[in-house]
Amino acid sequence: MDGKVEPRDRPLIQRRGAPVLLLAPVGALLLLLFVLPQAGMLAASLDAPRWSFAHYAHFLGDAHYLGVLGRSLLLGVLVVAVTLLLGLPLAYWLARLQSRWAPALLLLATFPLWISAVVRSFGWVVLLARSGLVSTALRDAGLVGRSFQLLYSMTGVVLALAQVLLPFMLLSLYGVIRAISPELERAAQNLGAGPLRAALLTTLPLAARGILSASLLVFALSVSAFATPSLVGGARVQLMSTTIYEQMTELADWPFAAAVAFILLAVVGFIAILYTRLGSGADGVARR
Amino acid sequence: MMRVLGLVSFLAFLYLLLPVLVVVGSALGETSYLAFPPHGLTLRWFAVALADPRYAHAFLTSLVVAAASTLAALLLGLPAAYALARFDFPGRRFVETALMMPLILPALVLSIALTLLFSRSGFTAGTARLVVAHLVICTPYVVRVALPVLQRLDVALEEAAQNLGASPLAGFLLVTLPAIRPGAIAAATLAFIVSFDDIDLAIFLADPRAPTLPVVIYSAIQLGIDPGVAAISALLVLLAGAGMATYQILLWRRQAA
Repeated sequence: MDGKVEPRDRPLIQRRGAPVLLLAPVGALLLLLFVLPQAGMLAASLDAPRWSFAHYAHFLGDAHYLGVLGRSLLLGVLVVAVTLLLGLPLAYWLARLQSRWAPALLLLATFPLWISAVVRSFGWVVLLARSGLVSTALRDAGLVGRSFQLLYSMTGVVLALAQVLLPFMLLSLYGVIRAISPELERAAQNLGAGPLRAALLTTLPLAARGILSASLLVFALSVSAFATPSLVGGARVQLMSTTIYEQMTELADWPFAAAVAFILLAVVGFIAILYTRLGSGADGVARR
Repeated sequence: MMRVLGLVSFLAFLYLLLPVLVVVGSALGETSYLAFPPHGLTLRWFAVALADPRYAHAFLTSLVVAAASTLAALLLGLPAAYALARFDFPGRRFVETALMMPLILPALVLSIALTLLFSRSGFTAGTARLVVAHLVICTPYVVRVALPVLQRLDVALEEAAQNLGASPLAGFLLVTLPAIRPGAIAAATLAFIVSFDDIDLAIFLADPRAPTLPVVIYSAIQLGIDPGVAAISALLVLLAGAGMATYQILLWRRQAA
């Protein structure tokens, strides 16, 4: 694994059953309120006890819903791209910053995580609306037409969601880059490489696993996000999460909502398996 | 190269913090519609928001739910983290991975699943539903934060306590718990924030007669934004800012000590 201390082989509490006893409450919680409800949801989506794939066939046979699935996956890819583009330089800068302020700056960068998604999205609604700062600036620059606004558009959702998820990308990458010795870059520079070339040739390849792992995490969180797409994208940007919400509340088609939810769960579950197989990435660096 | 990186980092910080500052700024404007930068300066909307009983009730509900979920998550999560840190048993890696699943799988899907389960089993009304749901997403955070802290803790401390006659439980309460206090505080802070800020579970599972603050704000934004919503959101931002500043100051104090 990583730098963690392995569990001692001299158990403090001598009874064999101690770990079972300590883990039983959490196990019961997850079984009753995590596994069981989602299994029940799967059964509901299959019209138990009649059992049919009708709701899945409905979803997969309808171009509208396939478009919704595709848009959610595209959103994930775009958010990963934006968070990588900003997160990689920021993480590298903070990791190599020789300052006592670096930890405080890292904490400041996580500020969006301290605030409810609803409140953060509200800030974006104000910024992206027709009269908002961003849309007005783009109009004044003559880049877009008079009726232009980013609110209720895919671009707006990507911008707002990437801001929320950038701290996740940053924290993961910061840990990965900190685990890579700067001596390697110095050695490359002594051999004649410029600073950028040295970073690209030594640190970047070592961080590759961590970058992939952080990207999978951000992708999974983007595809699942609900509040931000719902408030910033509205009815114009139909995604998996907003479709589930709409089916549950406005149309009250619970079995179909359950089927859409299970398809989303399957997509994210697949990413989660890849993510746990890969580890956090910082471990990979330590082992080399 | 560091200079270019510094510039990109500055822009990244601007991107991270601007929407949050906009929330505070737009609540200060004099106009009854929202504008950023604000026109004129007034604290009137804060008075309006604070006088609105809907927000006061919702704030109280959110506090109660978050406090209850955090306490319960600590009671369930700390023993689990302790077991994972101290004992080696078959399936330990599996348990560790399984405990992390609620962190990465969609909360909205869990929300739907719990709504179906609760409505079928007749567990329909009341705030307890939401507390129970929040427990599922808060407990893994407690385990995740407490586990590395417990793994770093020297087992000899507890052994010494037991050699001096303390029972395993007394050893844990008197020695281990004080030693991992910073980790437990971090875990509690995280669990509290996760519950207090949650919308995915609350939107379906909160008591319709006593919604949490994020649910009230969510509905208000959909109905059309007014400065009252901006003011209550701004207060939440300031509260989070104060929380983060306190956290950082405590960290500095510990380092100085």
